[in-house]
Amino acid sequence: MARNIGRFLVLIAAALIYSSALASSIFQPISDSHRSAALELFNPLGGSFSSVEKTYEELRTFEVLGIDKRSDISTAACQSVSEILGSSSSTLKDLFYALKVNGILQCGIKEDVFEGVASRLQSVVGGASALLDFYYSVGGLVLIKGQTSKDDLYLSDAEGVFRSIKALSQSDGRWRYNSNNPESSTFAAGLALEALAGIVSLSSSEIDQSLISTTKNDILKLFDSIEKYDDGAFYFDEKLVGAREHQGALSTTSSVVRGLTAFAAVTSGSLNLPSGKILGLAKFFLGIGIPGDAKDLFNQVDSLAFLESNTVSIPLILSLPATVLSLTKKDALKVKVNTVLGSNAPPLTVNLLQVLRSGSKDTSLIESQELKFDPEIAVYTLDAMPKSVDVGKYTFVFEMVLHDSDHKNLYATGGRIRIPIFVTGVIEVDSAEIAVLDSDLGSIETKKKIDLAGENTVSLSANHLQKLRLSFQLSTPLGHAFKPHQAILKLTHETKVEHMFVMGSSGKQFEIILDFLGQVEKFFYLSGRYNVQLAVGDAVMENSFLKAIGHVDLDLPAPPEKAPQPPAQPLDPNLIYGPKAEIAHIFRAPEKLPPKKLSLTFSGLTLLPFLGFLVGLLRLGVNLKNFPSSSVPAVFATLFHLGIAAVLSLYMLFWLKLDLFTTLKALSFLGAFLMFVGHRILSHLASSSSKLKSA
Amino acid sequence: MSPPHRVNPQPLSLSPRQPKHPATTKMARSNFSVLTILSVILLLPVLSLSFSPDSPSDRRLLVLFDDLSLKSSHSIFFNSLKSRGFDLDFKLADDPKLALQRYGQYLYDGLILFSPSIERFGGALDLAAVLDFVDSGHDLIIAADSSASDLIKSVATECGVDFDEDPSALVIDHRSYAVVGTEGDHTLIAADDFIESDVLLGENKIEAPVLFKGIAHSLNAANNLVLKVLSASPAAYSANPSSKLSSPPSLTGSSISLVSVVQARNNARIMITGSLDLFSNRFFRSSVQKAGSPKKYDKSGNEQFVAELSKWVFHERGHLKAVNLRHNKAGETNEPAMYRIKDDLDFSVEIYEWSGKSWEPYVANDVQVQFYMMSPYVLKTLSNDKKGLYHTSFKVPDVYGVFQFKVEYNRLGYTSLLLSKQIPVRPFKHNEYERFITAAFPYYGASFTMMAGFFIFSFVYLYHK
Repeated sequence: MARNIGRFLVLIAAALIYSSALASSIFQPISDSHRSAALELFNPLGGSFSSVEKTYEELRTFEVLGIDKRSDISTAACQSVSEILGSSSSTLKDLFYALKVNGILQCGIKEDVFEGVASRLQSVVGGASALLDFYYSVGGLVLIKGQTSKDDLYLSDAEGVFRSIKALSQSDGRWRYNSNNPESSTFAAGLALEALAGIVSLSSSEIDQSLISTTKNDILKLFDSIEKYDDGAFYFDEKLVGAREHQGALSTTSSVVRGLTAFAAVTSGSLNLPSGKILGLAKFFLGIGIPGDAKDLFNQVDSLAFLESNTVSIPLILSLPATVLSLTKKDALKVKVNTVLGSNAPPLTVNLLQVLRSGSKDTSLIESQELKFDPEIAVYTLDAMPKSVDVGKYTFVFEMVLHDSDHKNLYATGGRIRIPIFVTGVIEVDSAEIAVLDSDLGSIETKKKIDLAGENTVSLSANHLQKLRLSFQLSTPLGHAFKPHQAILKLTHETKVEHMFVMGSSGKQFEIILDFLGQVEKFFYLSGRYNVQLAVGDAVMENSFLKAIGHVDLDLPAPPEKAPQPPAQPLDPNLIYGPKAEIAHIFRAPEKLPPKKLSLTFSGLTLLPFLGFLVGLLRLGVNLKNFPSSSVPAVFATLFHLGIAAVLSLYMLFWLKLDLFTTLKALSFLGAFLMFVGHRILSHLASSSSKLKSA
Repeated sequence: MSPPHRVNPQPLSLSPRQPKHPATTKMARSNFSVLTILSVILLLPVLSLSFSPDSPSDRRLLVLFDDLSLKSSHSIFFNSLKSRGFDLDFKLADDPKLALQRYGQYLYDGLILFSPSIERFGGALDLAAVLDFVDSGHDLIIAADSSASDLIKSVATECGVDFDEDPSALVIDHRSYAVVGTEGDHTLIAADDFIESDVLLGENKIEAPVLFKGIAHSLNAANNLVLKVLSASPAAYSANPSSKLSSPPSLTGSSISLVSVVQARNNARIMITGSLDLFSNRFFRSSVQKAGSPKKYDKSGNEQFVAELSKWVFHERGHLKAVNLRHNKAGETNEPAMYRIKDDLDFSVEIYEWSGKSWEPYVANDVQVQFYMMSPYVLKTLSNDKKGLYHTSFKVPDVYGVFQFKVEYNRLGYTSLLLSKQIPVRPFKHNEYERFITAAFPYYGASFTMMAGFFIFSFVYLYHK
């Protein structure tokens, strides 16, 4: 656990340094963005808060930030305040915060209510042993004293109470919450100091000076445990293991600040605290930026408000609206000095002591000079950049000098303030040209001038025995050589395989010679068209560019067997995710049949023989005189021919709709019938003809 | 279809059983009733919060920090998640009690890793546990920064994204940086090269550039599930801004991805970015002006971008389900057991998209059905009625065998739909061929005139005198 907390601290440090140090460790005082954030964060549901503590936090934050929102919640808040103060069962904590809310809203609570509360608190103070009880009751009494006309509100045994709180203190300056609990806490130290300050102000007689001075000693010890970030911010953190509720660095620091400022306000004499630490605490609160949590915002704003008006030393914050200054646009260096809450500083002079080139710790580029103050906008300006300052990264060293010598003890200015500054400008690009050289002789085969300010479409061709040379010159506005961070030549093959080369320089001249013979392997033996791009950029170069120069057609030898393969390129997502092409099934073509007309014509033709047959019969003079004349054979003859007709019609039906089985079934009956009647008629005909013959 | 991972947690089997011995009945019964009540009390919140196939959005998220101050500095993002109904659990990444699952059930639906510098997670969490979490279909957001640890980088590598190996490298862009008076080293990028996808980034176009400050990553070319959502400009490169560039930077130009997403095959969704500040209140509230552009936006695009993308990651958008896959012969309503070749058939399927609260009809004109046997025989785009019903009709191919209706729908950002239904196709029966072919009429004509002739001839032959 201890290890975890240790790591936790390091991580907080890392996170804060990361977020603020990268913003070049400039601390901006409280601004309008805090106000809008406060309005956003304290946006209670329907104007009522869950607790009177939250109400106080909102009112206090708005009060410090100068936002007038009191009327929105005062009715509801005052109602709950008078309820809490009027009730005898409300907790100490609620009483304390209700009194605080009343202090801001002036709810018009009646004197007798105050008296009741005061007597209750007095009795609590007398019998208390836990730190929180002391804190809330003493704090409550101080608030009542401030809110009523009663001047005779005194603690009867102030010194005794003072001693019993003091008894909870530890040798390292921290406090315990109560005598049974051996764990000490920095957060509690803040509460204890605030309570002690309250006792001093409530005391009817002078508190023993030795008690005051040991408490001051405790404060100094407490400040020995202060922790520090690299950017000069100081903070307190709870080392307590297994605390009832874990207090973060912000609430711990803010508790200590409240206690410290309250105690310093009621005691005379100096605390001997280094002003740098107070400034560091202010930097810690400002370095948080805009918290996204209502409690954090309250802690930040409340602590800053206490620091703004404390009697130890009032931190002054030097800030720059811009740390990126353009040499081309002739930006003036502007410096603001404010208190932490953004109000104007007392009369002072800001001196620019040194200008150092970043990376080199050598001598300053300028003499110390004073910045001009414009009282209307409260900004210190440096009229013209020093002549010797070219584009680049610099560290400017400032110093604040207070005009009034009395102020020197009152304000914390932080001595020398180092601020990194980027001076930017337009870099001149000159004499750019691209050429293809013959390898062994170095003679120029083709050479083209390019204009890196405009568009270029150079078209070159080269083989693996040749070289490509690209050169250009860069110079700063003051005519010095300039080395940008990014000077990269990029060759891109049609297959999107990229090759990059860092351009080297000597003085102003940048040149790169690509010997293709040595590069064939790196180029994966890929012949073809390569697009040439040049990227030149730097943080201080205002005209950083990425220019397409044109293309080179490279003719490289065929790859040997074990040549490395070019790396795979990511697939275009549209290829993976797009809809597929539709597929329609191609049906087998139906068999070729003769046209309908032809078939019908031939069907007609098949009738012709039948017609011929009929005509032939008529011509022959067919008669049916042999048809039996007697009735029985005539019936059989008729049935026989009907039977034949039925069989033939069955064949017709078979073709039209019947299947083979039905047809055969019907045919078997018809056949038997036909055989029977056929036999009778044929035997009749046979017998009649034999009779005729024999006759 | 419902994704496979959204399973209702089964209640633990703590139901009372009948005790065997009458002597212990009373004791046992009281014990069991206590157990039952306890189990019900314990499981109620779990059951009521758990996901189900009917509402695929995530509900319970675990947020891991390096330090708890992020809770305050990134509060807008967390509050927007809370207001969308998520249940957030904030923990330190080295909390010794960390666990993603208990008794085989996952405690969370999504994991947000805002702990770039963590070298070892606390508790039961490690690289394998995070990957198992994703493999079982849960979602993940990883935000790294310049302090990114090997652990976070290896989680990202497993997801198909490679962070720059140089620990001091940041994304630098001297062309499209954000113009801020106090940021001079051009590592604060104003990026506006978004992927064109409404499902990932919402229907409203993100006007303002997104502020980015952090490390670069590139996509693994072999992984085609990972997508670049926000890419760097062609002039960007990844290098240490405070040291001289001696060798070409390993990552440059548009191949640098600032924000990437992955949708795994099990529809688990992952978002990876190299900037933790992307989610911070400071960037959300910051105004932004891209270098070289005269337009200054009062508010960066970060809030919209992050909100929209997180909606996608947590399955509030782009989650499809397909139901009621139906097919029938043209003119009929019942689904046949088998088709004959050359039948005309109607095919329909209903597709809905989860809107975060309800299933809304999904409207698209590129849903396709395949009639598939070894390879698609028919591939047809379905038409829709704007109410989620997709249908088409086509003729069964003249090839018989066992076919499948297949709907394979893989669209950028949407969960993939894979449906198939098997259906056999038979050839014609013997009596289903055409019966009266005109070309055969001469043969029939000949036969029938022959028969007629025979009939007449039978009279003539028998009765002529």
